[in-house]
Amino acid sequence: MKTKITTVLIIVTLISISAYSQNVVNLKIKGSDTVLPLSQKEAETFMKKNKSAKITVTGGGSGVGIAAFVDGSTDIAMASRKMKMSEKLKLQDAGKAYKEVVIANDALSVIVNPANKVSQLTREQIEGIFTGKIKNWKEVGGDDEKIVVYSRESSSGTYEFFKEHVLNNKNYGTSILMMPATGAMVQSVSQTKGAIGYIGFAYMEKNVKALKISYDKGKTFIEPNVINAKNKTYPVVRPLYYYYLTKDAAKVKTFIDYILSEEGQKVVNEVGYISLK
Amino acid sequence: MIISKKVIRKKNLKEKVAFNIFRVFSAIVVLSLIAILSFIIYNGISVINWNFLTQMPEDGMTKGGIYPAIIGTLCLVAGSMIFAIPIGVLSGIYINEYTKDSWYKRFIKLMTNNLAGIPSIVFGLFGMSLFVNTLGFGDSIIAGSLTLGLMVLPVVIRTTEEALKSVDNSFRHGSLALGATKLQTVRKVVLPMAFPNIITGIILSVGRVSGETAPILFTVAAYFLPKLPSSIFDQVMALPYHLYVISTSGTNVEASRPIAYGTAMVLIGFVLIVNLLANALRKYFGKKVKMN
Repeated sequence: MKTKITTVLIIVTLISISAYSQNVVNLKIKGSDTVLPLSQKEAETFMKKNKSAKITVTGGGSGVGIAAFVDGSTDIAMASRKMKMSEKLKLQDAGKAYKEVVIANDALSVIVNPANKVSQLTREQIEGIFTGKIKNWKEVGGDDEKIVVYSRESSSGTYEFFKEHVLNNKNYGTSILMMPATGAMVQSVSQTKGAIGYIGFAYMEKNVKALKISYDKGKTFIEPNVINAKNKTYPVVRPLYYYYLTKDAAKVKTFIDYILSEEGQKVVNEVGYISLK
Repeated sequence: MIISKKVIRKKNLKEKVAFNIFRVFSAIVVLSLIAILSFIIYNGISVINWNFLTQMPEDGMTKGGIYPAIIGTLCLVAGSMIFAIPIGVLSGIYINEYTKDSWYKRFIKLMTNNLAGIPSIVFGLFGMSLFVNTLGFGDSIIAGSLTLGLMVLPVVIRTTEEALKSVDNSFRHGSLALGATKLQTVRKVVLPMAFPNIITGIILSVGRVSGETAPILFTVAAYFLPKLPSSIFDQVMALPYHLYVISTSGTNVEASRPIAYGTAMVLIGFVLIVNLLANALRKYFGKKVKMN
């Protein structure tokens, strides 16, 4: 009895290993939580058209994705920021050449609870809030309410991008709360009255309010929406990247071509990001 | 000696108070379980149907089913058990039957206990660095199964050990006195008697494996993969991780809320069935042993 079971198990293992070596479109995509819903939807529509294709999508954050990419445990790294110098050096040391593709744009939005009176902030005010200098909403024209600052954790590309482009490379304050995922941030902000946070545009929901932002010290406040993002009047528009190894180009080509095609870009709009054209 | 009625009454009263305190606390346990179960069933029952159990997720995981996650969890359970059962049961036998009470045995026991106390996320990170990166399995069923297997290894070892310990020594002595070797004694006498309890331990660890998220987070779980695995080097979706991602990630958390409750219900149902199975098997094998 026992030997029979063992034999069966060995056979199953052998079959599965041999099945692995067969050549089918089998892609692993890993990384940014911002890009995650987009990749998921693109993979879903792509696989509906190409039944034999197999695309695995995993989140974790841009940092996690790029780390996995350097290790070679993923074919495509999705990132909401550019690759850092240290990461580039690691790839160079390993002798791996890579390609970068912009697949969509995102309007990084600052959100607050809908009950909040404040509906616009300047970049300087946002910097003050996230670095911990401004602690109460009344300092920026709101109610007398303590500001609860939510941020993504440090492996997030959005975290890095926000720090570079909105906080002027200043460090986040010590009292901010780190959220493991963007969806969790939306929920927390929708449930906390004095909350503020930042999210990718596709995550925008009715139970949070997007702030208008001014990058010219309060002369014009611009709302994050598709039109303002497309004509680049909204100041915090960022590209979303795919990274892949040059030697894998043939393997990933069909999928990336699909995303860049008209149909793929339509999916970008459906998910809530800003298409390239 | 005559005990005064007052003393007796006082004693009885104390007993009553103590009993009622026990009763209240056990009621709290049962009630909280009922509360959690009914909350999940109330929210989840409406989405559970045949399609939910047998279809791929669709439309940004706000519609469709959780079929790949169910299959993924079954794969991980099978994989981790293939790894944990032989090693765990054999080590348990070794510790209880073959070692004398030496520093070596105490050392193994100490290490097993420590292994049992390690948080599951540590296993996850260990699995990632050893199986995924160093051994180069990548995110795969095999890496996840080995990580989960490692995690439940102490449970299997300890239950095997306890099960063997509960077999009365007179059976061993009787067997040895009839000229049987130690191996024969263990195989033909001790192991069959301990079997029902060993099975219980194994099935309880199946329940644990199917419900853990942290160890599979970095070793196997996929956010989205609407295909069944074709090899042990594939990633899979898994029920607990699926529950985690659709309630925290995704652009429309509200829309996927019913699916989250449905997934929770399937997961709890799975663990419940496994536990009932453990009970039934123990009774079945227990009877068999007694009859022999």
